[in-house]
Amino acid sequence: MLMDRLSTVERWRRLQFFYDTKLHVRLESLIVLGVLCLTMAILSPFFLSVSNFLNILLATTTIGVLAIAATLILSSAGLDLSLGSVLGFSGVVGAYFCVIMEWPWPMAIIGALGAGALAGYVNGTLITRTRIPAFIVTLGMLGIARGVGLLIAPNGGAIYGLPAPVIYLGQGRPLGIPMPVIILAVVAIVAHYVLSYSRFGHHTLAMGDSEAAARATGIPVEPLRRKLYTLSGLLAGLAGLIFMARVNAGDPTAGYTYELTAITAAIIGGTSLFGGKGSILGAMVGALIMGVLQNGLNLLAVQSYYQQIAIGGVLILAVYIDQLQSAKERKS
Amino acid sequence: MTKLKFVLLASVITAMSSVAFAADKPVYGVLMKTLANPFWGAMEQGVKAGADAAGVEYYLQAAESDQAAEPQLNLCNTMLQKKPAVMITAAINSNILLPCLKQANDMKIPVVDLDGNLDPAINEKAGVKIAFQIGSDNEAAGAQGADFVVSKLGKDAKGPVLVIEGLSGNITGQKRARGFAAELKKAAPGLEIVASLPGDWDRGKAANITNDILTKHGDLVAIFAANDGMALGAVETVFAASKGDKVIIVGVDGNSDAVKSIKEGRLTASVAQLPYLVGKQAVENVKLVTEGKEVPAVVHVPTMVLTKAVLDAGTEPMLQFVK
Repeated sequence: MLMDRLSTVERWRRLQFFYDTKLHVRLESLIVLGVLCLTMAILSPFFLSVSNFLNILLATTTIGVLAIAATLILSSAGLDLSLGSVLGFSGVVGAYFCVIMEWPWPMAIIGALGAGALAGYVNGTLITRTRIPAFIVTLGMLGIARGVGLLIAPNGGAIYGLPAPVIYLGQGRPLGIPMPVIILAVVAIVAHYVLSYSRFGHHTLAMGDSEAAARATGIPVEPLRRKLYTLSGLLAGLAGLIFMARVNAGDPTAGYTYELTAITAAIIGGTSLFGGKGSILGAMVGALIMGVLQNGLNLLAVQSYYQQIAIGGVLILAVYIDQLQSAKERKS
Repeated sequence: MTKLKFVLLASVITAMSSVAFAADKPVYGVLMKTLANPFWGAMEQGVKAGADAAGVEYYLQAAESDQAAEPQLNLCNTMLQKKPAVMITAAINSNILLPCLKQANDMKIPVVDLDGNLDPAINEKAGVKIAFQIGSDNEAAGAQGADFVVSKLGKDAKGPVLVIEGLSGNITGQKRARGFAAELKKAAPGLEIVASLPGDWDRGKAANITNDILTKHGDLVAIFAANDGMALGAVETVFAASKGDKVIIVGVDGNSDAVKSIKEGRLTASVAQLPYLVGKQAVENVKLVTEGKEVPAVVHVPTMVLTKAVLDAGTEPMLQFVK
């Protein structure tokens, strides 16, 4: 029997290989997620239930959508620091269209997605045309989008009271599943396919690996980069739409520092900060690790200071476990 | 290229610093936490009304967020360069502005603690003198929230209660949560706070916390959030879970979106802070100080509980200050 002759180490390696090549997600991050779930289930009797898992998924949606954007951009060796601000800005534009302008509700969706895509397009155009580093351009956009959002919202306050169909996108539950979760699942599957299997994805990863090499093989680097940042903005707009629908308001302060959480989720999921390597499913696992942790800490009613310490600790541990394996692979 | 950049930079700096004070009227320097919040927007309107009535000019600055402590210190120092007649400051925390306020003392510029974010004991240690402190009492506001919950449920009521705190470590949020918890324990010992969690002033986070706690305590009877934004996040979650008629939700601030939600019968109540009145009275009291008259060391501007009944009746005289 073949299986008997294989050592545990070899079996482990094959399993890893399978997850890595077939699903493009690192086994280690799944194990961290599993251990975390197990710990929470032991600590709180309320953790293991369908409704609580739906809670976790729902709480993870905005960060999840932003983490998809972060993964795409990081894979191309780029950086988008404006994600959280663009989320807030998009929600305000969407709410402005349907509440203050009193336009029909689909304009809220068009407004939010359009505002996000526009901010992303400006990022992409500036980065490709002016050669200003992405860090600076998107940091600038972080301020601009937040400021414009506050300017649009009357007195810098939230625009409250959205039309029912828009609220449904955030609060509806077809078949008992929250709408934001369905939206995230669809977007994640499409994005996973695009990054791992499409030409667009291959070009993105190639560009992230080495821009010079990508250019030499004829990949249109500049247009690709502009598309990626526009897509990133569009996804931030979608996250803004979900956020505003969930809380029934376009809030200009929404998404404050969310970009860091999103980038963290992407990195926990095995995406490289320096490009060339990225996994959408991994980012979803990363976002879930953060979501499960937050949910567990809430169920256990852990006091705020301890929460910050726990979240910081798990973050470092999760990436450390992943790094151990990558280091081994580099040696062999 | 570098030269061009320098010229640009220089012109921007000149443009920013050339906003000159009119020489004939006294000019008050007003330093707020941030304008990214309707609370401070309303206070600015109050300052404006007060200044117009008193016939003084004012010069207003604010940091980019209510966590930008160091940038606020820089703004404060810049403001001193213009030698205002009075410094009205809403410090982001109890120590960040002290060096600047000490310098103001040395320059014989009276300092006013707007919104009560300074700590008298720390001020004394640092040798900073404050003309007076003005603002609403955040602990009292929390207690008012607790009294409202008890007035709805009765003093013998039993059941789990959730508290959503502000940003972890923020004194305003802490005072409100503390005031609520202390008063609830006194007024209705049967109501138990089962969790007091940091919502970080974030609506989305407050919505998530509410979801999590409803999972554990399906029989939740009340939620107190340290500001209206978070209370409204909780409202959306509670209504999405079809428990809108079972859970009392109270916020603090009295923001316009909270008022709308209360009128729609969703948010149960908000302890309104009347920031407009705080801003207006601050300027009025400053005028008294500059005229050499006595002003109490601590001026408390009252808070009021906004409910659907209060708003629908519209007879409460203090409602005119709810912006």
